[in-house]
Amino acid sequence: MLLAAMSNPFREDLVSRSRAEACTVVIFGATGDLTHRKLVPALYNLAVDGELPHGVKIIGFARREKSDDVFREGLEELNKEVSRSGHDPELWSEYQESIQYHQSEFTDLDGYQRLADRLDAIDRERGGAGNRLFYVASAPEFFDVILENLKAVGLSDSVGDCWSRVIVEKPFGTDLATAKHLNKVVSKTFAEKDTYRIDHYLGKETAQNIMVLRFANAIFEPLWNNKYIEQVQITCAEHLGMEGGRGGYYDNAGALRDMVQNHLLQLLSLVAMEPPTDLSADGVRDEKVKVLRSLRQLDTPERIKENVVRAQYTAGHVDAKQVVGYREEERVDPESMTEAYVALRMHIDTWRWSGVPFYVRVGKRLPKKATEISIHFKAPPNVLFNAIPGATAGGNVLVIRIQPDEGISLRMVSKLPGTTLRMEPVKMDFHYATSFGKGSPEAYERLLLDAMAGDATLFARRDEVEEAWRFIDHIEKAWHESEKAPEMADFVAGSWGPKAADDLLEQDGNSWRRL
Amino acid sequence: MTVPNDCSQLGREVEIGQIEVELKRLWEADEARTNASLINFAVYSEDASALSQNSDTVREITREHACRAILIGVDRDEVEISMRAWITAHCNLMNGNKSVCSEQIAFHLGGRVSGRLSNTVFAHLNSDLPLIFWWQGDLSERFNDRLYSLIKRLVIDSSEWQNPLAQFEKIVPAMQEYNMVVQDLSWTRTYHARLAIAALFDDPLAQAAIPAIKTVRVVTSAEGRIAGLQLLAWFAAQCEWRKASELIAAESVADSFDFEHSHGGVVKTSVVTQSGSAAIGLIEIDAGDVQLTISRSKGNQVLHLKMKAHGHVSEQSAPADSEDVVGLVRDQLSRGGKNSLFRKIFPVFIDMLKGAS
Repeated sequence: MLLAAMSNPFREDLVSRSRAEACTVVIFGATGDLTHRKLVPALYNLAVDGELPHGVKIIGFARREKSDDVFREGLEELNKEVSRSGHDPELWSEYQESIQYHQSEFTDLDGYQRLADRLDAIDRERGGAGNRLFYVASAPEFFDVILENLKAVGLSDSVGDCWSRVIVEKPFGTDLATAKHLNKVVSKTFAEKDTYRIDHYLGKETAQNIMVLRFANAIFEPLWNNKYIEQVQITCAEHLGMEGGRGGYYDNAGALRDMVQNHLLQLLSLVAMEPPTDLSADGVRDEKVKVLRSLRQLDTPERIKENVVRAQYTAGHVDAKQVVGYREEERVDPESMTEAYVALRMHIDTWRWSGVPFYVRVGKRLPKKATEISIHFKAPPNVLFNAIPGATAGGNVLVIRIQPDEGISLRMVSKLPGTTLRMEPVKMDFHYATSFGKGSPEAYERLLLDAMAGDATLFARRDEVEEAWRFIDHIEKAWHESEKAPEMADFVAGSWGPKAADDLLEQDGNSWRRL
Repeated sequence: MTVPNDCSQLGREVEIGQIEVELKRLWEADEARTNASLINFAVYSEDASALSQNSDTVREITREHACRAILIGVDRDEVEISMRAWITAHCNLMNGNKSVCSEQIAFHLGGRVSGRLSNTVFAHLNSDLPLIFWWQGDLSERFNDRLYSLIKRLVIDSSEWQNPLAQFEKIVPAMQEYNMVVQDLSWTRTYHARLAIAALFDDPLAQAAIPAIKTVRVVTSAEGRIAGLQLLAWFAAQCEWRKASELIAAESVADSFDFEHSHGGVVKTSVVTQSGSAAIGLIEIDAGDVQLTISRSKGNQVLHLKMKAHGHVSEQSAPADSEDVVGLVRDQLSRGGKNSLFRKIFPVFIDMLKGAS
């Protein structure tokens, strides 16, 4: 029913992105935190900015008994607190008219039939068939049944020119087998082109800028290989622990599954991929998946012991406040063997990256919140200035800061003013917030709009997810099933991780970048 | 001497030859601030008394756009050739924790300007950064190739012009020979209206009705008249309407123009100016079974969109364009781009101006 974007002549040159199409967004797990804190405020902000297509409706699907009004009130309360563009009561009043609540158990087929009737009624009001975007933000154990029930009542079918798409929140499986199973369920329900596996890191401005930095600037790409790059580090540090009851989920997942399998491997593949043939979703994802396929598998306990460090924090101080150790956290098993910190040394077996270690670390209760990628270039030859006794050696470092202070910096060596020759590292620094006064949209805003536009570039494809799990699975198995399981290290909360993680780099003559 | 006696808003007066040295001293005084610049932003006015007001304007703009600002006030009536300069910095707290500052140099030029504008003033551009040049008021003979060859983007507000046709004709060589990007604030005033129209025509019923459009009526304020004409030119260009005959202004209160669809049907279009209207107060599109309305009350920050299609009625709100010039410039700088759509509608728009004059 809806025509292609280019058939609307008034769209020409107005926005340089694929056009989002009007649809009804159905959110499963509508009473959850994600819906209240991220999804509905994201849609509100898109509406405020005039980016939300005309006629978008939102239906919250959840188990609790609630009226539309009560549901809207709860959403409004949180929107006031978290909305990027503030909260305008007048605009909200109009926006909330498009929000409805649909009460049903996820397992109750009748609830889905009622949902289908409701969607048909909305479409009739609009004057024809319409597009549907299903957002599965429920607890993961309901993913299967939600998808199966959508199919059972025909809601997953595209009708005529109208589409039916699904966004699946993380975690997309808990290992390779469950991911494959989930992919199977999804592919029975929706076509791959209509499936959007969300990784909100890819919606962040700086993550998107990685490709721009690499492929829109001529100076970096010629150096982007093992001839000039010594090592790459990816750090995702979190100063929070298990506040707000998150221990229950986290203690089942752990840092490796919660962060490395998705966010950090996605960042790694953006840094390491070859230039895509074009900027289409598959053009980009084809190259990203090649990186994941080329990861040297850590498939024996010995290799894992050599290349991976896992740890838990003990009681300490963060932000000058005393905090408990991981095993004393609320909803965490006192004998838990789940890692709250992990550091890895990875290798990508390609011509470009042969011999270049990629160090990845992620952890809770580290001194501060920061996510960044640092590209460490090789030191210059030890001649001329670098041969002078006392001269500061060291290569250039390009840092891509993902959060919280998004930006890019380049460290280089410079002569100190004076009559003698002294050299020190200096930093050229670009801050998004300083240079562009206007704030970036939230990652979810961009991703929701992309899903409405049918642009899957910033979403993970089936093979990407499975390749990432294949790599992670070896480590998880060695940790939890092997008799020769590497030990669990510990570190004091508020420090930069265990000594074993420092040793991991020291073996190569490297050290973690100080953030 | 038209420079206001109180030049405090312009900062510290400095000798022309010492501008860069004095700017450097500004930063030596306070290490806590960050000096940022993404563009050279020049604001030119031949009303030299506008310097102080433009300094306030630039302060607002630097909240979102870090730049090196160069204010130029010219007093052609001064008999003696004179030149004075002031420097200051506009500092804004970004994200509540970092003071980011944009440098500003203000020049007052008295008497004959020739040569001094490009030689002296533009010697203070930040190298490698593009020059965005906001020319306020009518374009004079100083708008020549020596000047516009340096400009990457020219910002103008055609709503200020007494004779828009003559003024736009002065810009044509710069657009053609130097590929200069023209950003007319009148065109900026139509941005959200165009987005709203595009959103309405995303609906398949509305889209199918494009060949059936019979009338397009735009109500504007006096200030918004040129914007209204540009909006009509945009309709004509995007729908590939042909001129029905000579475009003529039929009534004194309205600019009316007849176009033809490619299939031959006539489209009657008009811009009506009304006091008390928002710059773009109302757009009515009649395509028989499909009728679209976009309205905005003066002072309101939202557009009201209404579509009647085969008995169905739907309504929605959308953001509206800023009503003040500072907001328009700020928005325009945020969007950037090559403004190729403006180039596309330009010939039709010029034809309409010719028909209206």
